[in-house]
Parts: sequence; structure tokens; C-alpha cells
Amino acid sequence: MMSTNAKVTIEETRIQETAKHGIGKLNKSIENEYCEVKAENLNFFYGPVQALFNVTVKVQEKGVAALIGPSGCGKSTFLRVLNRMNDLIPGTRLEGKVKIHGKNIYAPNTDVVNLRKKVGMVFQHPNPFPKSIFDNIAYGPRIDGLKNKTALTEIVENSLKGAALWDEVKDRLNEPALALSGGQQQRLCIARALAVKPRILLMDEPTSAIDPIATQRIEDLVRNLCNDYTIIIVTHNMQQAARISDNTGFFLQGEMIEWGTTSNIFTNPQDKRTEDYITGRFG
Amino acid sequence: MTAITEKAMRTIFTLCGLAIILFLVGILYILFSNSMPGLTELGIGPFFAADRWNPGAYGEPTYSLLNMIYGTLMVTLGALIFAVPTGVAAAAYLAEIASPWEREVFKPIVEVLAGVPSVVLGFFGLVVLAPLIARTFNLNSGLTALNGAILVGIMALPTIITLAEDAITAVPKEYRHASLALGGTRWQTIWKITIPAAFSGITASAMLGMGRAIGETMTVLMVTGNMVARPESFLDSVRTLSAGIAIDIGDVVFNSTHFHALFVAGLLLFLITFLVNLLADILIQRKPEVNK
Repeated sequence: MMSTNAKVTIEETRIQETAKHGIGKLNKSIENEYCEVKAENLNFFYGPVQALFNVTVKVQEKGVAALIGPSGCGKSTFLRVLNRMNDLIPGTRLEGKVKIHGKNIYAPNTDVVNLRKKVGMVFQHPNPFPKSIFDNIAYGPRIDGLKNKTALTEIVENSLKGAALWDEVKDRLNEPALALSGGQQQRLCIARALAVKPRILLMDEPTSAIDPIATQRIEDLVRNLCNDYTIIIVTHNMQQAARISDNTGFFLQGEMIEWGTTSNIFTNPQDKRTEDYITGRFG
Repeated sequence: MTAITEKAMRTIFTLCGLAIILFLVGILYILFSNSMPGLTELGIGPFFAADRWNPGAYGEPTYSLLNMIYGTLMVTLGALIFAVPTGVAAAAYLAEIASPWEREVFKPIVEVLAGVPSVVLGFFGLVVLAPLIARTFNLNSGLTALNGAILVGIMALPTIITLAEDAITAVPKEYRHASLALGGTRWQTIWKITIPAAFSGITASAMLGMGRAIGETMTVLMVTGNMVARPESFLDSVRTLSAGIAIDIGDVVFNSTHFHALFVAGLLLFLITFLVNLLADILIQRKPEVNK
């Protein structure tokens, strides 16, 4: 099958690249070819309207990258470029290259289904399926062909533990997921994404629809998860970006104005517009 | 002056609204008042007795509706077995797969199908389906329950397609996005997420399609052979309640027991249809569980 081949190729590339450059984490400063996520001269269009202008960025493995900027600046569009969810919108067009694990994900022979298994996504509004908690988590592995009940149970448990939800729901896995609170639903969605064993997790304003206490739990969770996953999070909340991210990108009107370590962006921004936004002069 | 016009318009519209209720009450009254003499004379038992519908028999006429009830059930259920999967698949195609222009072409075709007179569909059954069925199953005649079931299924299709499509379209797009983002294919998303989420609406569409099928008369009358014997299989000739009424009503003696017995059959049909529609209505009210 196509997907298996693609998977193998990605793994091979990764091994080769790792051999060439050492472990990804250690050579953050080196200008290496292998990158977790890399966009080069990316332009994106909704029909005639251009939403992203010449975005170039490299995201390294593990850790949290935050994308900030005012509404409509293109940060969510950029996020959805990375798992090709924009494909669902008719009339969209992309120029430039987006590489994930060294492979151009917009190459004609890309297996989008397989890409989305490697690049999970958590949405702004919690969107559990109208199914039981168990069936929500098991959905991804099941459509991947896993039928073994023991294996599924194990994945469900691990994913829920990974999303810090296990203790709250372990006794009611068969209850409808929609009966959970908003914050729990969002953690369920994170668990559901983890169950597919992605390498990268995209989060599109995951806390904007839930209360502050639930938000804090998700922020803690994100900090934990970034030891095992590369997390790219879009947030309209600058404090959140400052709290949880290692690197931050600032978008404005479709351009990535500045990209750097979070501490640099927030304490020593290079661009006047970044500074204005950070200090609350607009946005 | 404007106040008077306003008042007059208001009255006219209200009266038109009330007329609907009046019609229904009137129909019910006629059904009951004409079936009552039959029910009081014979009791309920003979209508469900294990013999035949033979009101014209010399000496001991029998009035069992049982075989016609079997006929109606066979045609209806057979129609649903064919029409529900086809209709739901077509609805999923319309709602999830078809490009805008394909939808533009397909939807009017569904409406045209809904508008085909049942007599014309009956021709199709006589000329095309009946010989085909006879040849396929090596029968003397293709005028069977199967023939009626297929045609009634075709007649129920537009109802099922239209309502199931509404139900599928009403499923929040967030579910689809979640499924696709988890690496689900479009097919997996439709089959495992969208259709289950639209289940109550789809069931309602099937019920309304069933309501359409139960009462269907002309097509069934033309293609099922109308034997009143107990049907053994879909390859037997059957007479449905509706066809039974239509066949007999032309030459029945007014106000005879036979005449009233036909109204009992009509009452039964009405009650079944009413129940099915009621159930469908309840299911439609149950909106898919939407997430704020």
C-alpha cells in the first residue's frame, strides 16, 4: 500500500538525516537540512485572495512553537497548510514548498491520509464525535484497521493518560463524550489525536472556547506533551504563547514578521511591528 | 379602509388554515362512520381470521383482511429493503461527494422522479419488470410482490433521498473535520461519522418513505397480480389493502356489509400510515446532538 511506503520513506529519511546531523535536538543552532516542519516561500490563496505571503520558517523537533498575531493574519491558515486541511476548501491554491520530515507534503504523490496521521490536529471548539468516550479515542486506530480489543483498550488508556484525562473518565468510558465538560472534551480531542500516534500536533486556539481553569490544565498538558511531540499552537492570547512556547512566530496580514525564541520575541523583538503588537499597541 | 382589508385578509388566511383541519376531521369522520356498521355487524375478529377475503361468496361470505395485510407488508418492506440503502447512498452522494454542478443536475431529476404518475410507473412494471422477473425466476407471470416492491421502492426513493440529504447536511462539519484530521478517508468519514450522526433523520426519511409505500395503490394494483391467496414468497402474487379497496369499490353494493368492510380496510391503512408518520415526526424533532 501507498501509505506504508510513504511511512517507510519518512522513517528512512529521518534515520539518514539523523545520521548526517546527529540527534535533532542537539543541533538546533546548526543550519541543517532535516527539519520537523519547514516552509519555504509559501504563498497561499483563497480564490483570488492571498492569505499568506512568502512565509519561510523552520520548526525543530519537539517543543512548542506558538503562532501569534491579530485576527485574520493567516496564522490559522498556516496551521491548516501543515496537515492540508485547507484542501477541504474549494478554490484554494498554494505556491512554494512545505516540507515535513524532509518531504514536500504538496508533492503530487503525497498520501494526504497518511500525512494527517502523522500530523494530528486539535480544533478551536472541542469536537468529539457523538459516540462514547472509548469509541472517540478508538476511532483513529480503528479506521487504521486495528480490531483487536485488547490492543484498542490499551491505546485508549494510554491516550487518555497522555491527555491527563484518564483518572476523570476511567470508570465511564462507555458514556457519551458529549456529556463531558468543555475542558474535558478538549482533552478528549487531544487524546483522540494522540491515539493515532502522530509526530506533530497542531492546535488551533485550543483554549479559546473553554474556561480559565480548564485552560490551565491544557497548558500544563501541552508542556508535558512537547517532550514527545512537536507542538505548533495558534493562539490569540499572547500570555499563553509566552507561558507555554519555546519559539514564537508573529504573523501580520499574511506575512510572518518575526520568528525566534519566545523569550527573544517577547523581550527583545527585532521588528517594530512585533514590538507594537506585543506591547498592545494594536491587535 | 386598510384596517378592514387587514382584517379580511387575516380572516381568509385563518379560514384556509382551519380548512386543513376540517378536511382531516371530515375524512376521519367518513372513515369511521362508514366502517362502524361493518365492525358492529361482524366484530373485529372476522377481519383478522385465518381465511380469505371473499365477500361475494354465496352463503357464507368471509371478510379476512389478513392476506391483504401480508401483501401490504411484503410490498412495503420489500420496497424499503431496496429503497433505504439506495436512497441513503444517493443522499450521501448528494450531500458529501457531488460537486455543485452535479448537484444542480441530480436534484431536479429526483424531483422529476417524484412527479412520475404512478400509472406510468405501472406501465414500466408491466412491460419491463414483469417479463424480466418471470424470465429470471422462471415463473409463469412476473406480476408478483417483488415487482410491486421494486416499483414502490422507486416511488419512495425521492422522499428518502430528499429527507436523508437534509439530515446528512445538518451534521456539523466539525465532525467531518475531526475525522479527516485523524487520517480518515472521505469514505470512512461518511460511513462511520456522518451517517451515524444523521441516524435519527435517516430513520425518519425511511419512515416517511414507508408511509408513502403503504398507501400506494395504482402501481401495485397493476403489477402485483392481485391474488387474495396467502403469499408464500416474494415471487407470489399478492393483493395489498389499498389495491383490494380499489378493485372492489367499483362494483360493491352501496351500504352493504361488503361496502363497510372496505372502509374497515381503509381505516386500517389510515391507522398504519398515521402511526408511521407520527413516529417519523418524533424522530425528525430529535435533532442530531450538536456541540456548542
